[in-house]
Amino acid sequence: MGPTLESFGQDPVWVVILKAVLVFVVLVLLTLFNIWWERRVVARMQHRIGPNRNGPFGLLQSLADGVKLALKEDIIPKAADKVVFVLAPVIVVVPAFVTFSVIPFGPEVRIPFTDVVTPLQLTDMPVAVIFVMAIASIGIYGIVLGGWSSGSTYSLLGGLRSSAQMISYEVAMGLALITVFLQAGTMSTSEIVNAQAGLWYFVPLLPSFIIYVISMVGEVNRAPFDLPEAEGELVGGFHTEYSSLKFALFFLAEYINMATVSAIATTLFLGGWRAPFGIAQVWEGANEGYWPVLWFFGKMLAFIFFFIWLRGSLPRLRYDQFMDFGWKVLIPISLVWIVGVAGMRIVRNEYAGQLDQTWLFVAAGVFAAVLVVLLLLPERRQPEPEPERAEFDAFAGGYPVPPMPGQELPARVPTGATTHDGGND
Amino acid sequence: MELYTPILALMVLALGFAVFSVVVSSLTGPARYNRAKLDSYECGIEPTPQAHGGGRIPVKYYTVAMTFIIFDVEIMFLVPWAIYFDELALFGFLAMLLFLVNITIAYVYEFKRGGLDWD
Amino acid sequence: MTGFQAPNVEWLTLSPLLVVFLAAVVGVLVEAFVPRAQRYAVQVGLSLAAMVGTLVASLVVFARLSPTADEAELGRVVAAGAVAADGPAVFTWVLLSVLGLLSVMLFAERKVESGVLTFAGQAAALPGTEAEREASTRGLSHTEVFPLMLFAIGGMMLFPASNDLLTMFVALEVLSLPLYLLCGLARRRRLLSQEAAMKYFLLGAFSSGFFVYGLALVYGYAGSMGFAQIAAAVSADTGSRALLLGGIGLMSVGLLFKVGAAPFHAWTPDVYQGAPTAVTAFMAAATKVAAFGAMLRLFYVAFGGNRDDWLPMVWAVAILTMVVGSVLAISQTDVKRMLAYSSIAHAGFLLTGFLGIRSLDEVAPGGLTGVSAVLFYLTTYGFTTMAAFAVVSIVRDAGGETTHLARWQGLGKESPLVAGVFAFLLLAMAGIPLTSGFTGKWAVFAAATAAGAWPVVVVAVLMSAVAAYFYVRVIVLMFFAEPVGDGPSVAVPSALTTVVIAVGTLVTLVLGIVPGALIELLGNVGVFIR
Repeated sequence: MGPTLESFGQDPVWVVILKAVLVFVVLVLLTLFNIWWERRVVARMQHRIGPNRNGPFGLLQSLADGVKLALKEDIIPKAADKVVFVLAPVIVVVPAFVTFSVIPFGPEVRIPFTDVVTPLQLTDMPVAVIFVMAIASIGIYGIVLGGWSSGSTYSLLGGLRSSAQMISYEVAMGLALITVFLQAGTMSTSEIVNAQAGLWYFVPLLPSFIIYVISMVGEVNRAPFDLPEAEGELVGGFHTEYSSLKFALFFLAEYINMATVSAIATTLFLGGWRAPFGIAQVWEGANEGYWPVLWFFGKMLAFIFFFIWLRGSLPRLRYDQFMDFGWKVLIPISLVWIVGVAGMRIVRNEYAGQLDQTWLFVAAGVFAAVLVVLLLLPERRQPEPEPERAEFDAFAGGYPVPPMPGQELPARVPTGATTHDGGND
Repeated sequence: MELYTPILALMVLALGFAVFSVVVSSLTGPARYNRAKLDSYECGIEPTPQAHGGGRIPVKYYTVAMTFIIFDVEIMFLVPWAIYFDELALFGFLAMLLFLVNITIAYVYEFKRGGLDWD
Repeated sequence: MTGFQAPNVEWLTLSPLLVVFLAAVVGVLVEAFVPRAQRYAVQVGLSLAAMVGTLVASLVVFARLSPTADEAELGRVVAAGAVAADGPAVFTWVLLSVLGLLSVMLFAERKVESGVLTFAGQAAALPGTEAEREASTRGLSHTEVFPLMLFAIGGMMLFPASNDLLTMFVALEVLSLPLYLLCGLARRRRLLSQEAAMKYFLLGAFSSGFFVYGLALVYGYAGSMGFAQIAAAVSADTGSRALLLGGIGLMSVGLLFKVGAAPFHAWTPDVYQGAPTAVTAFMAAATKVAAFGAMLRLFYVAFGGNRDDWLPMVWAVAILTMVVGSVLAISQTDVKRMLAYSSIAHAGFLLTGFLGIRSLDEVAPGGLTGVSAVLFYLTTYGFTTMAAFAVVSIVRDAGGETTHLARWQGLGKESPLVAGVFAFLLLAMAGIPLTSGFTGKWAVFAAATAAGAWPVVVVAVLMSAVAAYFYVRVIVLMFFAEPVGDGPSVAVPSALTTVVIAVGTLVTLVLGIVPGALIELLGNVGVFIR
């Protein structure tokens, strides 16, 4: 068994400080690594090479970028609210670090060269997962304040979009977590990991896992949900006006948040630091000592690779589609799924033995099938308005503009030689 | 309280790092300002004048925020229920089902009346 | 969290509440799924059915109270101690069902506004814009008002029946929030209406804050939310008295705001004037019933043990309320504002009845207690004021309702029937014999005098005389003044409003002539349980 809540709160002061420093250093290094990794992987996916100059395999590229940013001019725009403008990056970064304090990296270990035994986790508490969500929400303040205080239209819109997006997907995320709490009966991260000693939760709670993974991508503003930073519309979004290390802080926070949601996903659905199925069965020591750190980071980096992969392969969503997806698809499915899980649990607890288990699975299967069919049914749409037959004038507004859907380009050759069928897409 | 003090250590570290970065960046970089640099960035054109008092923001964001609060409160009610689900047993399940149905009816109303459409 | 016991819920006793809330929820679904053209009929039918249903259910529960039986059991505490279904509570349920039924009819009136509801076509459209005109020409109307009203009624029914502080606060919010919204939905004079809603919302939210703060202090004093436990703590006199008195003070701010007592009355005229008249009628009649019911229960049951502490406060508030309401009403030039100030004055009279608190052993069997007197007054006032506002809603000109008093000149010539009915209702409010206003006033004054609050009663009698002045002034205006311009016109309402006016007037008359049966009934059931 791994550590429980009782294992925490007994470290001597130097151990606490050591662990805090370690978490901090790991996060900073992880960010530097992730940026490099992302650039390399995306480059590979696009048949490029990516950064390879600084250090072996270009590993020091991020560090070089950081130094370069530090030497850049630090601009506070004239229209900015100075105090809030400077404060915003700080507000974003601090919660990003703090959320990692309850992530379990491994079981209890003995610190080398001493007799102190301590869990590989800064601390834990009965409400750990809620703590993560609460602290992560504070980061949204930083984004909104940063966007507002810049005194720029793009920043303001980016900040607003970002907050609307994060709160929209936070609902689906919270609902997905409820089923984990139902299953584990606790919110403490270390005890949730313990509860997954048998079966990792992504198997019995597959829908929750899928919803969580989708909403975590929305939550950290990553492609294909990176609308707050849609370059074509908003330049850089909320950090358009930031430069130098203040910009770097936003960047750092974004990558740490990516690591945080990945770590949470690992902890809640993939058994945390437990060795992948098969290894622990053939090798007794796989879940002891410092080995679990390896499994933990392996799973977490797999999630981060997933993030990079998405970015490399998917185009950005349109904003209305994105909001529709969050509010009209993810939330109802989560609600139904919670009721389903709770119902199954009630039946198992109260009527165990009276009811044939197979019937349960049949019922669940039928239910899932109905749900899938409902999802696949084509939406009833209002008939599209008839396309305007008016002649399209590209220069109507003074600037040349492309035709809207449904508008026809005037044929360049008046003989009618080109009979394109545009306008019915 | 012992469980919460380690968080303070990490918070102090992060805060120190963030403040250090903000301060350093203003010292290390060059400082050759001109009017164009200090203006809002709008891709090179003259920046749009800011509306007095921040201007008006589409009401859509408020409705999203309000809907979010309702659902967030719902989640906060669900959490303790989920933790103590086994003890609350059938009564807890039915009570929460009633609550969820009520929330869902409000949600359905908003859905059907276009409150969730983003145009 | 071991040994959780599922609470027992007495469904039959709670059925009046459940019917209302269920209908309200179904009403929301109707809004979502029924096509726009059929919504009006479905909503009105649903609301009427719900109100009749809850009336029947309330009467059944009332009959089961068996007030004439020998045993002292006059109701029971249900739903794990959250709700007390005793005589006063169930009586207010019956009363609120009837008033709610009448309100639904007022809300459903479409004839005076030539085919549309008197509520805004599209509340989200800015006043005076193209969007508003378009909504108007398309004949849109918000049928959401019916579910909103049902939610408010549900909250009102729960409010006086709540047996612990938390339930009471939830009920307070459930009844308040729909009302804030309804106030802003007038079809005509929308800016005034929206201003009223905003004022009511801000001040109401503020007063709810006071209430919650007081609730927290009282909880800190008693260590419990339940009224019975608070009463026990009060009589044992353990704990800090500062906490208790602070809690009582803050909670009474919240409740006195809801009943519209001075010095927390400032919202009343603006809101009564700006809100759609149907909503004003509903608020004036039903909110007062609910708020006074709750106030009676809170103070009599929970804080009855230390009434010497808070009675002076109620004395002062009652006197101030009567004086402010009656004196300020004299200078009003708008009918709705005048009725609003009159409702403030009536809140003062009700508080006078509230002073009739005595120990049970001081009261002769079947004698008039403060509770019975206040409930009787609420009955008489509820019907009278609802009918009065219903009359206001049908006196109109081209711009909608014409509420300025100058435009009411000569109404007696234009429509003797309407003017006569309104005059009768005003006389009832003034407390002229042979109307229910007289018997109501007599009941509260008698109860207050019996409890030794005679100085307040003296002020109340004086203020009744002052109030009579401005009521009579309106009557003189209607019958003996020449009309200005082409004079007011009286829209011919549909049967709905007519029924409301007729029922209100009839009850006013009947309770004025033969009040005995109701007073006797209230004397039997007007006892709180804990």
